Amino acid sequence: MALRDIKPTRSELINLKRKIQLSERGYKILKMKRDGLILEFFKILANAKDSRGELLRKYERAAEMMALANTVEGAIGVKSAAFSVKEVPEVHLKSKNIMGVVVPQIDSNKVRKSVIDRGYGVLGTSTVIDETASAFEELVEAIIESAEIETTMKRLLDEIEKTKRRVNALEFKVIPELTEARDFIKMRLDEMEREELFRMKKIKSRNTA
Amino acid sequence: MDIAVIGNSEFILGFRLAGIHKTYAAENDERLVEHITSVLQDNEVAILVLNSSDMEKVPRKLRVTLENSVKPTVIAIGGDVEGGLSMREKIKRSVGVDLWK
Repeated sequence: MALRDIKPTRSELINLKRKIQLSERGYKILKMKRDGLILEFFKILANAKDSRGELLRKYERAAEMMALANTVEGAIGVKSAAFSVKEVPEVHLKSKNIMGVVVPQIDSNKVRKSVIDRGYGVLGTSTVIDETASAFEELVEAIIESAEIETTMKRLLDEIEKTKRRVNALEFKVIPELTEARDFIKMRLDEMEREELFRMKKIKSRNTA
Repeated sequence: MDIAVIGNSEFILGFRLAGIHKTYAAENDERLVEHITSVLQDNEVAILVLNSSDMEKVPRKLRVTLENSVKPTVIAIGGDVEGGLSMREKIKRSVGVDLWK
C-alpha cells in the first residue's frame, strides 16, 4: 500500500489501528502454530528415519528372495504360487487432525499368514517360496508403517512451510506497512491540526488589529 | 480396505505372494499413468505402492497429487530417491536445517 493512496482521516486511522491489532493477533497465533507443528515434526522424525531404513532393508531382502525363488522354482512356479494366494491383508485407513493438518492413521491385520493359510500347495512348492512369501509379508508390514509416518511427515512439512511463509509475510510486510501508514496518518492529522491552530491565530490577530 | 501395487510384472509378483490382489502391471509410461489414475479413484484402496523409478516417470502434476494424497496414501519404494533425497530437501526448505542425517 503506497502512502500516497492513504486518506489521512480519523476513520482511516481507526480502521488501520483495528487492522494492526488483528494482524498482530494473527501473527502470534500463527507463530504458536508453527512452533507446535515443528514440535510434532520432531516427535516423528526419528521414527521416520528408522522406518525408511527398515523398509529399504526389507525390500532388498524380499528382492533377493524373489530372485532366489525364480532360480529354484522357475518363473512359472513362482507365478502359480503367487496367483493361488487367497488371503488378502486388511488395512483400515482413518484420518486424524494435527493442528488442522489431516494425516492418515493406518491399522492392519492378516498381513502375516501361516503356510497353510497362504493357499498354495505345501507339497508342490519348496521352502524358498515360503521364505519369499514371508519376506514380502514383512515388507508389506513395513510399507504400512512407513506409509503412515512418511505421509504424516510430508504433510506436516508442507504445513510448516506454509505457516512460516505467512508468519514472515505478516512480520516483515503486512504489519510494518500498516504501522507506516498509521504513523503517516497521525503525522498528517497533527500537521493539519497545527495548520488550523495557526490559521485561527492569524485570523484572531487580524481581527484585533 | 486394500493395498494396491503398480509396477512392472517382476515388482508386483512378490506382492501377490503376500496376498495383495490389486496389483497392476504397467510396462510403459501410458499404462502407468492410466493405472495410477484409476487407483486414485478407487475408494477401496488405502495404500498405493509404487516403484521409486516409476514415480520419476509420472507427470509432475500427477506426482504432486500423489505426494499430497492421504486417501490413498502413496509410498514409493525400491530406491533412496523418494524417502531420502526429496524428504531431505523438504526438511531443509521447511525447517531450514538438514535433519535427515
